[in-house]
Amino acid sequence: MLSAMIKKELLLVLRDKHALLALFVMPAIFIVIMSVAMRDQFSTKNIEFTLFIKDADKTELTKAIIKDVEVDRNFELLKSEKDAEFVIQFPKDYKKDSHIKVEISVQDSIKSDKIEAFKAMLSEHLLRARFDLMAEKFKAFSPQASKSLKELEVSADSLFKVNYNGLKTIPNSTQQSVPAWIVFGMFFIIIPMSTIYINERKQNTLSRLTSMNVSIFAMTFTKSVPYLIINQIQVWIMIGVGVFLVPLFDATPALAINGSFGAVVLISTALSIAAIGISTLIAVTASSSEQATTIGGIFNILLGAIGGVMVPKFIMPESMQTIAEYSPMGWGLDGFLEIFLKSADASMVVGDAAKLIAFGLSLLIISMVLLQVRINRGL
Amino acid sequence: MIKISNLTKTYGDKKALDNLSLEIKEGSVFGLLGVNGAGKTTLLSILNGLVTMNSGEVEIFGLSLKTQKKDIKSISSIIPQHLAFYENLSVKENLDFFAEIQKASKEDYEKAVGVNSLGELMGQKASTLSGGQKRRLNIAIGLLNNPKVIYFDEPTVGVDPKSRNEILDSIKNYKKLGITVVYTSHYMNEIEKICDEVAIISEGKLVEQDTLENLLSNRVSNNVSVEVIYSDKLVSLGLRLMDETTIETTQEELSATLKTLDTNDIAVKQVRYGSTNLEKHFLDITGQNDA
Repeated sequence: MLSAMIKKELLLVLRDKHALLALFVMPAIFIVIMSVAMRDQFSTKNIEFTLFIKDADKTELTKAIIKDVEVDRNFELLKSEKDAEFVIQFPKDYKKDSHIKVEISVQDSIKSDKIEAFKAMLSEHLLRARFDLMAEKFKAFSPQASKSLKELEVSADSLFKVNYNGLKTIPNSTQQSVPAWIVFGMFFIIIPMSTIYINERKQNTLSRLTSMNVSIFAMTFTKSVPYLIINQIQVWIMIGVGVFLVPLFDATPALAINGSFGAVVLISTALSIAAIGISTLIAVTASSSEQATTIGGIFNILLGAIGGVMVPKFIMPESMQTIAEYSPMGWGLDGFLEIFLKSADASMVVGDAAKLIAFGLSLLIISMVLLQVRINRGL
Repeated sequence: MIKISNLTKTYGDKKALDNLSLEIKEGSVFGLLGVNGAGKTTLLSILNGLVTMNSGEVEIFGLSLKTQKKDIKSISSIIPQHLAFYENLSVKENLDFFAEIQKASKEDYEKAVGVNSLGELMGQKASTLSGGQKRRLNIAIGLLNNPKVIYFDEPTVGVDPKSRNEILDSIKNYKKLGITVVYTSHYMNEIEKICDEVAIISEGKLVEQDTLENLLSNRVSNNVSVEVIYSDKLVSLGLRLMDETTIETTQEELSATLKTLDTNDIAVKQVRYGSTNLEKHFLDITGQNDA
């Protein structure tokens, strides 16, 4: 009996073209688009600034700076100031008087965070050139001091170590996008699952099954199994998209699964149970499939927004990060990030998995009780 | 035998069934009549174990509904008013699914397919079937467990006349197979055609229960009803049609009516003299005629 019910459910969902699009195609497209679009936002490398330099000083110092900037791949030195995002000017006597500031003119559309990044990167060249100049001066009377100055590291990478919420590695855009949209996509089972469930309820197929001695538990269990399978297929397809497809677009970094495959299966199964719990509750309480689709869609977007799918949790303000701690999507996303970034094994994600399973099972139990009440009332 | 004693079911403050008692003989085709909201569907749902009763006793073929619900479900089947199958599955996939759920034997499976003439439709997607074919599939699913009793809840709603007659004929055949049929319908002529015994319920209470013969012959009337085999020509003959296959006439006009039918090659199945029809009787009994 159980195998027949599982087979029936699989047939129904596999014949629903819209559901398949929502479950498989939509998240895959999101992963590619968001990985490529967000690539530069998650990288301190390869940020490109277009600039034009006006040199009123024309000294060996400013010439050295310009030469350095020219070979730095973060800067694109333009021949005219018309299209430049930044125009920098070395005032006269810049070399002579170290208190004279470099002037920067910025296009109106440039945001403040980009200006700060530009200043930080340009500072490296300004300091390097100053130190090199000082080193040359010291060379004659203190070769050791000159050597020390030459070797002095002034790049931001040598001065700072950035930790993103304690993660060992800074996530790149693919590492952020793949788990985020896997989690989001998995919760899209809400739509086909609740729609099929409500149709069965409305068309009396559920009461017919009840009249055939099929228990509420058997109904719920057999409806859950196909979606556990579908969610697993989704997860591995999305991981495949991150590993193989995303790098084909504009040299976007590929996804690296640093953790164990077992951990991926554990956290994704737990996420599935949570998603199935929500879907079943919506299916039991909604009065029509249109209502279920609307409620399911809103639920998905809200949980995604709170849980760090839309906006990465580590750039949220602290108050929002606290709220994210209560979102099932947030638990799932944390689990995946642990696996992809901190090389987590199953034992390291068991906490997040337990929360998801407890959440999902609670909703399933509530749904079964409500369904029994509905059946007793003649649906 | 199905024995219902003092059955009561309430939904909130509303009494759907009020101290209802009736008996249904084994192997009979039993008609259940009542206006919308009279409690027919609630009664069928209780008998099939779908809805729990508040009080009373129900015994079905010696099994108590209170203590042996699971056993009762395995020997009974309900054919719901709405088409209760999967539109996105084929006829075969639907039948296979429901057969496996009920552990139906190969023999019962083939019987359900044969009786409902679904053999040539097995590969067809259920959503593409005609209204009548869908109804037949709906019924076939209910036969898969080889039930001792089948509850039909208005099975011919929205069905064309030809398919309706096919369904009614197949229900008559269940009687030959020894299956007890409990049948509700809005179409009283259907009840007249297939039922041996009828119960009329109103506001959850039993108003009358008797054989069809007794219900109809108790009224003195000059009316004669002539039941014929369905023909497309019928509507163009200028006869008074009670439905697609029943003509209403009087004893004086009977001879001319039969002649007209004979001339047009329309076969007569049954002639009923001196009767009222069930609809008139039902309206009298339930007071609906007063309105």
